[in-house]
Amino acid sequence: MIVLTENGTKRAASVYRFAAHLLIALLVFTLSSCGHHKGGHENTGNRGRAMDSTLVIAMLGDADYLNPVLGSTVTSGNIIGLIYPSLLQSEFDTTTGLVNYIALEKKLRAVTPGQGKKTPKGALAKSWRMSEDHKSITYVLRKDAFWNDGKPVVSGDFKFSYQLYGNPVIASARQQYLAELIGADKGNVDFDKAIETPDDTTLVFRFYKPVPEYLALFHTSLTPLPAHHWKAVNPDEFRHSALNLNPLGSGPYTLKSWHQQQEIVLASNRKSNLPKAGTIPQITFRVVPDYTVRLAQLQTGAVDVVENIKPEDFIALLRANRQLEVKTVGLRVYDYVGWSNIDHEEYRKSGRVKPHPLFGSAQVRLALTCAIDREAIIDGYLKEYGVICNTDISPSLKWAYNDRIVPHAFNPTKASALLRAEGWLLGSDGILQKNGRKFSFVLYTNSGNARRNYASVIIQQNLRSIGIDCKLDVQESNVFFENLQQRKLDAWLAGWSIGLEIDPLDVWGSDLNKSRFNFTGYQNPRIDRLCELAKQKMDPIGTRPYWLEYQEILHKDQPITFLYWMKETQGFSKRIEGAELNISGTFYNIDDWRLRPSANVAL
Amino acid sequence: MLGYIFKRLLIAIPLVFGVLTLTFFIIRLAPGDPAAFFIQPGISPNVAEQIRAQYGLNDPVPVQYVKWLANVLQGDFGRSFSRAQQPVFDVIADALPITMTIALLTLVANFTFGILIGVISAIRQNTFLDRFLTVTALFFYSMPEFWFALMMIILFALKFPLFPASGLNEIGAENFGPIGFVLDRFWHLVLPVTVLSINGAAGIARYVRGSMLEVIRQDYIRTARAKGLPEKIVIFKHALRNALLPVITLMGSSLPFIFSGALFIEVIFAFPGMGRVTVEAIFARDYPLIIANTFISGSLIVLGNLFADVLYAVVDPRIKL
Repeated sequence: MIVLTENGTKRAASVYRFAAHLLIALLVFTLSSCGHHKGGHENTGNRGRAMDSTLVIAMLGDADYLNPVLGSTVTSGNIIGLIYPSLLQSEFDTTTGLVNYIALEKKLRAVTPGQGKKTPKGALAKSWRMSEDHKSITYVLRKDAFWNDGKPVVSGDFKFSYQLYGNPVIASARQQYLAELIGADKGNVDFDKAIETPDDTTLVFRFYKPVPEYLALFHTSLTPLPAHHWKAVNPDEFRHSALNLNPLGSGPYTLKSWHQQQEIVLASNRKSNLPKAGTIPQITFRVVPDYTVRLAQLQTGAVDVVENIKPEDFIALLRANRQLEVKTVGLRVYDYVGWSNIDHEEYRKSGRVKPHPLFGSAQVRLALTCAIDREAIIDGYLKEYGVICNTDISPSLKWAYNDRIVPHAFNPTKASALLRAEGWLLGSDGILQKNGRKFSFVLYTNSGNARRNYASVIIQQNLRSIGIDCKLDVQESNVFFENLQQRKLDAWLAGWSIGLEIDPLDVWGSDLNKSRFNFTGYQNPRIDRLCELAKQKMDPIGTRPYWLEYQEILHKDQPITFLYWMKETQGFSKRIEGAELNISGTFYNIDDWRLRPSANVAL
Repeated sequence: MLGYIFKRLLIAIPLVFGVLTLTFFIIRLAPGDPAAFFIQPGISPNVAEQIRAQYGLNDPVPVQYVKWLANVLQGDFGRSFSRAQQPVFDVIADALPITMTIALLTLVANFTFGILIGVISAIRQNTFLDRFLTVTALFFYSMPEFWFALMMIILFALKFPLFPASGLNEIGAENFGPIGFVLDRFWHLVLPVTVLSINGAAGIARYVRGSMLEVIRQDYIRTARAKGLPEKIVIFKHALRNALLPVITLMGSSLPFIFSGALFIEVIFAFPGMGRVTVEAIFARDYPLIIANTFISGSLIVLGNLFADVLYAVVDPRIKL
């Protein structure tokens, strides 16, 4: 026990004061250093010579597999795209919003001026021919493509690989690509009939039904594996085969080293003619799990690219290091508030579809949308990187987007009037009531998402001001997703990232057993019909009228409140030149990127 | 004593086994699905089912338990779900050396500085030095590690770029030669080890100070001084040795830390150590990996306690086992 004399007490007090001052000074000093760093130039000198020829990309987590049959994360996809060859090159045309497919000597569509930056030289296919009846597609492969061990890339590699993609024991996440091949309608693809390889440079895919050309190209251009290299691996052992750690490809880069959970190092593949050896001698993907540290690394120049920077950090980041820039790409991702259209409990118990007591009416859902100030969320968080969202067809898909739809404006008065007309009247406690039921619910969202937290608080305030009691609850992502699937949530805040082909039946289809992602229980036979009609058209442009009507219906029915589209915002070091960001991916032309100091570095 | 150790180890077997069984059922009954990742638009609904079948998750839980038990008794803890189906002990073997390097360096620094500061505070009780050390120690002890780590990064990686902000090695470190490589590794370890050991040393200093103060007041210390022994010998030979008894408990309980890793530090400094393995396994619902981790940390807690008890007997002849 410490006994203090009177003198001691005074002395102690002065010591504590001194220590407190010291700590405050230290804190102020530390925090003030955040904003005033003028780094960049002086840091480049500290970097080792290795940095001059190495591009460093920060990633959140490690790749799962560097095997195209198994890799299922975005990171894996990016790296696989650099190691392996592809049958066709694909390019998203920003003027039309359509994906173009390119072979060495053929293109699906004429390239609009200013587009077409992707070289066709990366494609394994010389050309293709779609049959008259749209039930088969024949590729002619080039003869000068070789795997890194010197063996030629042949049509048999594709047949072999598709059998792996379709093998239920391997459980590839890309099985859906085989859904139109002969036999798929009966449950098992008949590979002997579905894929034919009359010779090494001819590859034929046969479908059980007519397939639009763009879809056939999309679904038949899965990345191949070298058959001679993988032949001996038993499907049971495919997932844990040692070959997964040492991929044999033929793309612009090869795997140099892979320290799991640390870094993946790729080296330019001098042998590659698909399309050529990567311009930057070495690319390192580093795992940096913490967002703040990723930012710090970008600021000091330890990494060159950090994806998904929060808009709130731009100003400080760009002020701290003028050698950085923020590039944006989109719009592919939107957030929404999901309202359960049907009474989930009733549906779970008896399978009967009954309107939800709160959100069952389209007028009520419209009122909720009008009551939510979407502009305020965009202004407060996303700023110029957010756009009001009307439906799930992105403004980037210009060929299908309905620009005549006027967004439902923020209008609490209109919202109140709509609710009153539906019988919701203010109770004595200031909360709306109807037949003794209060308008009160819990809005769920997943944890760890600052943007959604921000939005949910604004939504709560907006709704409270028109007499709706909205409680907030944050759940761990896994739990949240499971509850969503089991239809346990009445209202939730979540988001979707859309594909570049429009196929919304999974999300809005009326058959609730089949439509796995129709969490709201929304049903409208006209939507089902429009999706069906669109599928029967062989040319996407011909489907435009269906999609225009589809958007009008969703805008009227408001099955969910669409909040905003977000641009993805990526931090880049200015020493990278030639980076073209495309909606199909940040690293879409990475083999053409150059590093400024690397101009004098010989390969 | 050997008999005692043997008895304790025997008791530990059902204990660890019970912990594993409990973990087995808790993680399977908890919400979440290891195949959840494969349930998304554009992925065939069959995939999640096939993945579950591969993992053997379609059997009823008791059947899964019996199968698991049969494997574990043969020493097979299975393959990780989330990490490319590597055997779980391979995953752990990759992460363990990194964690152990950090933890051992930290522990050495912890105890060295902790004991030193504690002793100085105690023998200079109520002086300016003592209060300064006490306040500073309390300040660091109560500081959240993750915050402190971020502040250190801002200070020493951004403001004064002396140390790297994260990673285990510089880009291109493999060309530095073996000595250069090791030096580079140590250079990367400075910040994390400092954060961990400042925090830990502050705690130990508080313990040592308290127990030292108690010991210094004992009669035998007065006797030692009365005999005319030099103060150094009184403090370090007579007082410190007795004051260190409670510190031994701390040492025992630090054992699991060496192997389980420091999560925040690993995430912030991007080290692929055990802390991250464990937490990522939990988020991915990677059942075999969670169980293997529980096995390791559970066994170590039991062993750590045993180790501390045995150490007591070694340093204090009054304690008989």
